[in-house]
Amino acid sequence: MIAVETYASADQAATALHGDAVFLGGGTLIMRAVNYGDLKTERIVRSTDPAMKSISTSGERISIGAAATMSDVMLNPQLAFLAPVARSIGGPAVRNMATVGGNLFASHPYGDFAVALLALDGRVSVAGSGEEDLGAFLARRSSFSGVVTEVSIARPATGDFRYRKVSRIKPKGVSVMSLAAWLPRSGGRLSGARVAFGAMGNTPVRANGVERALEGANLDVSGIAEALRAVRTDLQPPDDPIASSWYRSEVAPVHLRRLLLDEEVS
Amino acid sequence: MSSVEFRKDLFADERPENLNEIGLPKQRQDALGHVTGRSPYYDDNLYDGLLHMRMVRSSEYHARIRSISLNGADMMPGVVRVIQAADVPHNINTLLSLIGFGRDDEALLQDKKVSYRGEAILAIIAETELQARKACQAVRVDYEALPHVLDVEEALKPQAPVVNEEYPNNTFDYYDRYDHQKLRFGDPHAAMARADHIVEGEYQMSPIEQAPMETCGAIAVPETNDRILCHTCSQALFFSLGTTAKLLDTPSSRLHFKGGTVGGGFGGKVDSLNEPMAVLGAKLTGRPVKFTWDREEEMQVGAPRGAERWRIRDGVMNDGRIIAREFTGFFDSGAYTRLSSYAVVKGTAHLPGPYTIPNVASNVYCVFTNRTPATAMRGFGITGVDFAIECHMDKVAETVRMNPIELRLLNAYRDGDMKPHRRVAKNTAYIECCQVAAGKADWAIAPEYSAMSSLRDGGGERASIPLTMIDEEGRIGERKRGANIDTAPSKITKDSGRAPSVIPILEATQAMGEQAAGRPQVGKATSPAPQPSAPPAPAPAMAPSQTPSPTSAVPAAPQRSAFARLQASEPAAPSQSRPVEPQPSTPTPPSESEQPYRPSEPFSRGVKRPGASPFISGRRR
Repeated sequence: MIAVETYASADQAATALHGDAVFLGGGTLIMRAVNYGDLKTERIVRSTDPAMKSISTSGERISIGAAATMSDVMLNPQLAFLAPVARSIGGPAVRNMATVGGNLFASHPYGDFAVALLALDGRVSVAGSGEEDLGAFLARRSSFSGVVTEVSIARPATGDFRYRKVSRIKPKGVSVMSLAAWLPRSGGRLSGARVAFGAMGNTPVRANGVERALEGANLDVSGIAEALRAVRTDLQPPDDPIASSWYRSEVAPVHLRRLLLDEEVS
Repeated sequence: MSSVEFRKDLFADERPENLNEIGLPKQRQDALGHVTGRSPYYDDNLYDGLLHMRMVRSSEYHARIRSISLNGADMMPGVVRVIQAADVPHNINTLLSLIGFGRDDEALLQDKKVSYRGEAILAIIAETELQARKACQAVRVDYEALPHVLDVEEALKPQAPVVNEEYPNNTFDYYDRYDHQKLRFGDPHAAMARADHIVEGEYQMSPIEQAPMETCGAIAVPETNDRILCHTCSQALFFSLGTTAKLLDTPSSRLHFKGGTVGGGFGGKVDSLNEPMAVLGAKLTGRPVKFTWDREEEMQVGAPRGAERWRIRDGVMNDGRIIAREFTGFFDSGAYTRLSSYAVVKGTAHLPGPYTIPNVASNVYCVFTNRTPATAMRGFGITGVDFAIECHMDKVAETVRMNPIELRLLNAYRDGDMKPHRRVAKNTAYIECCQVAAGKADWAIAPEYSAMSSLRDGGGERASIPLTMIDEEGRIGERKRGANIDTAPSKITKDSGRAPSVIPILEATQAMGEQAAGRPQVGKATSPAPQPSAPPAPAPAMAPSQTPSPTSAVPAAPQRSAFARLQASEPAAPSQSRPVEPQPSTPTPPSESEQPYRPSEPFSRGVKRPGASPFISGRRR
């Protein structure tokens, strides 16, 4: 039998997470695995901590509780720029369950919400320890054991955040790739741009070469040319049933151009 | 309510307007239950003490099983029973044995050799599904890997590994004679020789998983009086019941099968083996047992639509008339027969598609490979070859630079035309379908093509059976013995000068037709009475050299199918000197039925019971 343990606070839940226990967020990943006969899961730990569901937009950075669902994000007017991202995750039933924290653990080719968080300088808060950079966190997520309580992100100026999900089936298809960019400008030129890709590696990843190429560039056809060249070599996308590694590399510049220039796609 | 457009202007005089069902929109009988969420599924039946069954499956494509070690699985928490091959009372079956077609070739549980990845080796029943899964994980199977073959044409080579011991040539045996299903009509090779163009194409279809939302499953519950109740989502309740009775050596009167809602089937639940396993589990434990596939099993071991490979070779005239068509087809049956043997026969009866082509030949193979056994799915046997045929029609249209819809109309079959399997086509309606489709797509076709009708200009000469070239190529086992035989239809032609086998197939078929029509056989007319050929093609459908006088004497009307009889009634071992292939004389039961009835066997279907009316006839199709 699988035991399910519920704790009132995130800290208590974190303490209970030892041995073969897993922490349950929305359940769209873990319960699917359990129902399909995952033999690793013996104990499921969950928390009803209300703090984990809160969304705070008052500070300089925005804090989103790890237990906030995709639907919660879509309903919050302060997070209107993230609504299209949340909307690209699953169908309505999944969005009502799937959490922001859980998305950080969604394996390839899922985890599109984390791509947006990564582009927005996401930082992860873990119960019982401090804040850490989302990129570093994603790199070690497979060995992570603990409870993520919230993710904070920068507040982009209007029009500075871009997101696209490329899939073969709309509106619910799995990602060929997802792309997110935070494009702060100073004096008309890009400064400190962050570009992240999903389904282009084992985890959501930043495209460092692209970001370097965009530094000081104008956001126009010639300004981004170097970045489009860089994206081909920046990432090592995997083969999967959705697309081959070769295909993903070939089309990445096209989708990056559409993202950066905000081109309409018919 | 309905988006169906009824074209009552077409064939208006063939259908009365006062029918209560036909031609009217109809609500599905299960629609109300589905939209209100009240449709009962098999898994909605709850039982105290329900046990769960999981399967240990082959991790190999082809391997001999050296040993199976339970490795303590039977002692693990919650485990109630382990079922192995020796526990299955009659551990060999083939689905279509219930209609007397094919030989038993598949075990419910394997303990000697596995022939595809995912093949069932043993089952474990436990209190919870998780316990059963953990016990399965503990079991150790020692395999001796064998070479495997995954391609249909590789499997036909002499050195190919034997996939299925019952069919050591890796092909299903047709009529105890050939390693393929033949179709011969006219003299395609001679026609090809005078054709303006030869158009060739090869088409390959992958297996397709039916992917029902509800995976295959069954719950078996002991009832009183030594009866077992089985709730199942089977699409074929009585197939399931018959299969279970046979495998478990149990009178069918001891089985109470209860179907109901099928949560998506599409052919994938016709030959499921969850029912016999669940019933066996219930018999051995005396408790309710559920055996449900998870999604991975549904994908890996759930029988898909099989892969098919087709090669088509057409002889085409400059004006677009197709005067000859040859098929070489391969059905990938996977490791066991299931329904592919039948799909081949069904597909052959469909050739050459909805077209009247005066010379047709096909060789179609049901091939065993080390892949998941294939089964039914939505028009199986037809869908794949139709894809090939219609792709090929476009290729032909391109070759002769013709409007592809006009090409189809030109070659379309019409009411009264003879199909190569010797049935007269009726209610064809293909011409009208093309015309309507062209109209809907705003695809221009010339007025003479718009004016065509499937009701006119068919029959007559187009109803005749031409002189047909026959051959004895592809005897069972020849390929395995190293004989170098092309898989394509024979190249024998009456023009080749080596033709001992130009046989007018007319006489016997004519006799059959009259016999079927209850008329006395008239004298064999030889009067040359050439029928007007069918417009629009200015030339006759068959070249004059191909219409010797006997053919024109064929009565256009009732021709009973020689093909249908060929399947069921052809004598098993004809003498070598008997040259004509499809000439049934007196109906003989299929070879499976030649074995004497064994009353010691508790279960016996109607087809094995002398004198009883068959439950499902092996001869109907």
